[in-house]
Amino acid sequence: MDTTAVFDLSEALARVDGDQELFVTLAELFLQESPKEFAAVRAALSGHDSAGLASAAHKLKGSVIQFCAPRLFESVKHLEALGRQENLAAASSVCAAVDTQLAELHDALRQVMKGGFPL
Amino acid sequence: MGSPSPQTPAPQAAAADRRASQPATILLVDDEPVARLSTAHRLRRLGYTVLEAEDGARGLKIIRKVRPDLIILDWIMPEMDGPTVCEAIRNDPALSSSQIILMTANDRPEQIAEGLARGADDFLSKSASKQEIAARVQAGIRASALVRQLEHTRDDLRAKQAELEEDLHSAARFVESLLPPPGSPAPGLHLSWHYRPSLNLGGDLFGVTPWGPEHLGLFILDASGHGVSAALRAASLIAFLRSTDLLKVVGSYDPGRILTETNRRFPMTADGDYFTLWIGALHLPSRKLTYATAGHSGAVLCRPQAAAQWLARPSLPVGFDPAVVFAGDSVPLQPGDRLFLMSDGIYEPLSPGGEVWGKARLQQVLEQEAARPMDELITQCFQSARLWQGAEHFADDAALVGLELAA
Repeated sequence: MDTTAVFDLSEALARVDGDQELFVTLAELFLQESPKEFAAVRAALSGHDSAGLASAAHKLKGSVIQFCAPRLFESVKHLEALGRQENLAAASSVCAAVDTQLAELHDALRQVMKGGFPL
Repeated sequence: MGSPSPQTPAPQAAAADRRASQPATILLVDDEPVARLSTAHRLRRLGYTVLEAEDGARGLKIIRKVRPDLIILDWIMPEMDGPTVCEAIRNDPALSSSQIILMTANDRPEQIAEGLARGADDFLSKSASKQEIAARVQAGIRASALVRQLEHTRDDLRAKQAELEEDLHSAARFVESLLPPPGSPAPGLHLSWHYRPSLNLGGDLFGVTPWGPEHLGLFILDASGHGVSAALRAASLIAFLRSTDLLKVVGSYDPGRILTETNRRFPMTADGDYFTLWIGALHLPSRKLTYATAGHSGAVLCRPQAAAQWLARPSLPVGFDPAVVFAGDSVPLQPGDRLFLMSDGIYEPLSPGGEVWGKARLQQVLEQEAARPMDELITQCFQSARLWQGAEHFADDAALVGLELAA
């Protein structure tokens, strides 16, 4: 898998001043927290709770922004906007995209953690 | 008076020094753990001590406990969002001067306006660069340090003000302790008085004291100026007039001679301060009152079925000319007579239109209400003066002392 298509490792590292150890800590925390945050997104959507959707998507967005994953970030941002607009009909397909892209970021992060950082 | 302690720094100053030597403390409130960890780490790398809270309520608890130098709040948080925490901080007098940065993913002008209106000092984008974060945080810490410095200065000033006020109260209590007890200073005489010092400590004092076995000394003085200095000068003059050595020093209890000696001993100060003084000596066996005046408006003698008589003669105040010789006058007192000593504060209140109440109106009350017991009459004079000025407190010390000869 080409991780560069999913997130920009060098930019994400730059955000933490090149501190690889901190990056790993953040990635581990993200792998632990983001499924819960995405579950809250899903629950709000299935409960037809627009405000809850906007709030849950906003929280997920706050963690995604740390990894410089532009496609996932835009999808989550879109989802938050749809929640604010109370456009739940359009939110389902965006939610599915977030699901896929989030899984891709998880994989990419695991790969970096397992394979080490490029020199 | 407070004891000086030059060796010990004030507690506020010591706390300020302690804080200055430590890295600034930043509280970061964000419900999203990954973002919070990332930002906290960046701030720690910049050398700050970082405290973290996962929601607004926990954040407020830490703020109350620690008073961080800077608070960074995420805008959107469940239950209590950033702007609501801002408002809670601004509404709490103990915290209201805190420096707050709101973190937001949006920087729309209307959102910034709302954040400012609800108490934020600055904004930080979640996608801000390292340089921007450092610059905004540094600016916030700088502002916080200035505010803290102002608060310490304010607290120091308040403490010093409180100390000065306590000194004034203490001096006022001392002055009050010098006043004569109401009641009977000698057989057949009844003393009653009312004294309302002005809000600033004043220099008006009066005394009724035995001068030997046959005389009762009566005096009322006004030290020019206000405050502790005037009160101390007044107390010093009272001490002289009450001295058991007075006869030895002056040679007699004649008020003119006492006033002449007083004038010699209490010259005008380098600051131009002086006294006005009225002294009376009542010879108890004969009931003859001898009196002398130094720039004072004098005393008034009220007799049953007779017009009031002012006992004073034009004269210089004490301290103006060391060579002046003061002369006395005398008047026989009769049963039923009332002698009133007063400070000018009792008859000089101004009406809201600026007109002085005046001695004539005071005399009118003393004459018209003469049938009343003396305590009530004195109270009535104060009430009339207050009514005239339309205020409870007198601008100057107000004293009215009554001595009544039993009918």
